[in-house]
Amino acid sequence: MAKTILFVDDSASVRQVMTTTLKREGYDVITAEDGKDALSKLDGKKIHLIISDVNMPNMDGLTFVKQAKLLPAYKFTPVIMLTTETAASKMSEGKASGVKAWIVKPFQPPHLLAAVSQLILA
Amino acid sequence: MPKKKEQGNHLAIEGEFTIYTVGELKEQILGALLANDEFEMDLSAVEEFDAAGLQLLIMTKKGASALNRKFRLTGCSAAVLSLLDLSGLASFFGDSLTYAKSKEAIA
Amino acid sequence: MIIPDDYLQTFVVECKELLEQMEESLLVIEKDPTNPDIINAIFRAAHTIKGSAGLFGLEFIVEFTHTAESVLDRARSGEIVINSNLTALFIAVHDHLATLVEHVVEGSTPSTETTDFGKRLTAQLEVYLGKEIKEVSFPPVQKLNVSEQSSTGDQVGADHWHLSLRFGTDVFRNGMDPFSFVRHLSKLGTIVQLVTIIDAIPSAEEMDPESCYLGFEISFRSEASKTDIDNVFNFVRSDCEIHILPPNSKISEYQKLIQELPEQEMRLGELLVNCGTLTPDELKRVLQVQSEISTDEPQRPIGEVLVEQQMVSPPVVEAALKKQEQVREHKKAEANLIRVDADKLDELINLVGELIIAGAGTSLIAQKAGMADLMESTATLSRLVEEVRDSALALRMVQIGATFNRFQRVVRDVSKELGKEINLVISGAETELDKTVVEKIGDPLTHLVRNSMDHGIEPAEVRIARGKPVKGTLKLNAYHDAGSIVIEVTDDGGGLNKAKILSKAIERGLVDENANLSDKEIYNLIFEAGFSTADAISNLSGRGVGMDVVRSNIQALRGRIELDSVEGQGSTIRIRLPLTLAIIDGFMVGVGDTTFVVPLDMVVECIELRAWASDEGDGQYLNLRGEVLPYRRLRDYFDTKGEVVRRENVVVVRYGEHKAGLVVDKLMGEFQTVIKPLGQLFKGEKGIGGFTILGNGEVALIVDVPGLMTQIEHEKDSRE
Repeated sequence: MAKTILFVDDSASVRQVMTTTLKREGYDVITAEDGKDALSKLDGKKIHLIISDVNMPNMDGLTFVKQAKLLPAYKFTPVIMLTTETAASKMSEGKASGVKAWIVKPFQPPHLLAAVSQLILA
Repeated sequence: MPKKKEQGNHLAIEGEFTIYTVGELKEQILGALLANDEFEMDLSAVEEFDAAGLQLLIMTKKGASALNRKFRLTGCSAAVLSLLDLSGLASFFGDSLTYAKSKEAIA
Repeated sequence: MIIPDDYLQTFVVECKELLEQMEESLLVIEKDPTNPDIINAIFRAAHTIKGSAGLFGLEFIVEFTHTAESVLDRARSGEIVINSNLTALFIAVHDHLATLVEHVVEGSTPSTETTDFGKRLTAQLEVYLGKEIKEVSFPPVQKLNVSEQSSTGDQVGADHWHLSLRFGTDVFRNGMDPFSFVRHLSKLGTIVQLVTIIDAIPSAEEMDPESCYLGFEISFRSEASKTDIDNVFNFVRSDCEIHILPPNSKISEYQKLIQELPEQEMRLGELLVNCGTLTPDELKRVLQVQSEISTDEPQRPIGEVLVEQQMVSPPVVEAALKKQEQVREHKKAEANLIRVDADKLDELINLVGELIIAGAGTSLIAQKAGMADLMESTATLSRLVEEVRDSALALRMVQIGATFNRFQRVVRDVSKELGKEINLVISGAETELDKTVVEKIGDPLTHLVRNSMDHGIEPAEVRIARGKPVKGTLKLNAYHDAGSIVIEVTDDGGGLNKAKILSKAIERGLVDENANLSDKEIYNLIFEAGFSTADAISNLSGRGVGMDVVRSNIQALRGRIELDSVEGQGSTIRIRLPLTLAIIDGFMVGVGDTTFVVPLDMVVECIELRAWASDEGDGQYLNLRGEVLPYRRLRDYFDTKGEVVRRENVVVVRYGEHKAGLVVDKLMGEFQTVIKPLGQLFKGEKGIGGFTILGNGEVALIVDVPGLMTQIEHEKDSRE
């Protein structure tokens, strides 16, 4: 059964590239353009991994992750944050919210795929 | 949410047997173990099975022997079997599995 | 991606620094090829350059550095040893990286030629990554194991990795499934046997189903590196106890593993046997060692035992220690250092200079006004300003060590080129001098070092014949002396041939045939313009540039160069430089209407001419308490106008070993002077080193004492 990834990023081009890349690896991909949009996609369907940007309009990535973790269906879902934020405070805030990996932008798609594969091998 | 058919000493788990469901399942299993001399689980309809599910299954098996109860697995889905295989714990459940298989064979 | 220029600037500066470190490490690694500090420094340089280049989208650097980094990573983990071939290769890699960074500076892309060269280097590097070459490149761990096996039989037979994992309780809650790591691991090789450790699962009543109590013992066959295997557990690292033992590990390593795992030793032994990692017989030995250790030497730190018994592949322990040290070093450096643009420092020093001038102005006014309170206050002020000046100047001071270390490379390269064995000995590396001076001293110093190696140090046969050690020695030394920094280049070569130099100098018309010159004067003739020409006569003839160019470079820094030599035993070239170019403590003197400033460091004493000294009668020499001292009247020398005074004074100055008297009208006392360079118009003026603006707005000329002295000696020579 293909595993489902929710990919949240405000850049359309990044979403496009990553959707293609992840699908090629056999994952199902749902995309959202900001935290708010992403929350609305969390309607109870099974999601195996969330990959989210930090700096986004409407709702930032950390707020979104915290909200998502409050939903029973997603409280154990692993999260990878894509970010240029390397501030330690953000990191620890994220860690407390269950963020497993921080990948600093600009990242190489293979790098992200390796992280994805370590967390939820298809 | 896993769907389950409960008949006292028989528990059939369907769909997800993972971290998302173990909290609820544990209480049922523990209750059933305490209340019955024999306990059966049917995992043939489990679609997702992870380490948390496996761990609960181990607890069940260990708990049964600690309480001196009989525990049987009456059926395992591919997802369950594959993880039992990977974990090397197939033999740990050996007698229960054998029973399940022979029961299937009889049936 | 568009990157702001100043980011790129930071990148370039960083790269250059890293390359410098890389080079330094490469030059010393041959002496100590397994030193983890050195290997790590080289690795870190490559790694960081690659990382930041990636950020800037400089693919040509990323691509080239990648292979180098991989090879270095293998060196770091002890899989390959950095031998001289590899060192040479990495020096080429370093040079190529420097070229690539230059392209970044210029904003150009590398030419096909450069790219091809890079590809050739990459191909050579890849040899060190290939399996078939493995045997050639001395994998230390395996070698060690082979010998160990025959001598002590201390290792286990199984040729697979052994992984012990104990997951933390929050692993599930953090969204991770231990089995996903196992599945990922099987991408890198074959899982021979996996045993799930369920011992830690509590009783059914107490168990929290969302907590993880699992562990794995895994035997794993793979060609992957330890790093690759380790990377699989990146996400679970903080939540998991991970032990990875390479194939054919020592019995004692299992002993250590057993010590560190939570389960009972018999249970663990059973697990290891179940995994096929240990045979029952090996297990017996493991447990034996275990009990011996625990009774006899319970206090020994594990690391020590490990190293002593040579049982861990050295990188395991080193990696851990290294990591700690790296973090510590990094933190320390971060805490203590601020990177400041040199221009900002210059600006600060400039302002301090202005402050000094303004302060002097205020003092003057206070004096004129005769207000004691104000004078006292300005005195305090100027003392503080002086301290500020010193601190500001100290900011610009750097140790000469980095410059000296660069010569490791020069000496290495040139000695290979010349086929001579030459050892470089550095001392006084911690001696500090102004950054601008350091920057400008590099070229002349390189020239001198090359010269000494080329013409000073004899070929091996000659050295043997002369009863000297075959290996020549070149010394670089630095120290502070009387407000100057002295840099010495010493060789133990053949020394200079006086007779040849003298005859050459006479032939060139540099000295009179009948001149009576001291040895030192003869040696220093080689610095005269017109002496050093294409047909090399002296042992120190230059290649391309003459020694006179070196001297004028040094003089441009207000410095002086001289040479000592003992025939057959070697030469020492001594460069004397001011510590800083920006500000000096001056001694102000008046001649007629003009004010001059003499650098205070060089002033020995001030005396009244008539009272204490007398003219020898030729207008050239003074008799100073019996000492014959050359002197000049600054009035004559600079053709100064203004009223003649009756009581003239002599300022006795010293520079190096020379002393001279400067006759002036008035002594005006100490004065802090900001040196402003002379404009083009006055560039040719001998004896003037710059000017400064006085508090009252007037200009004072700064006497270039070394220049003046050279001039005096010159006149003396030509008269004789």
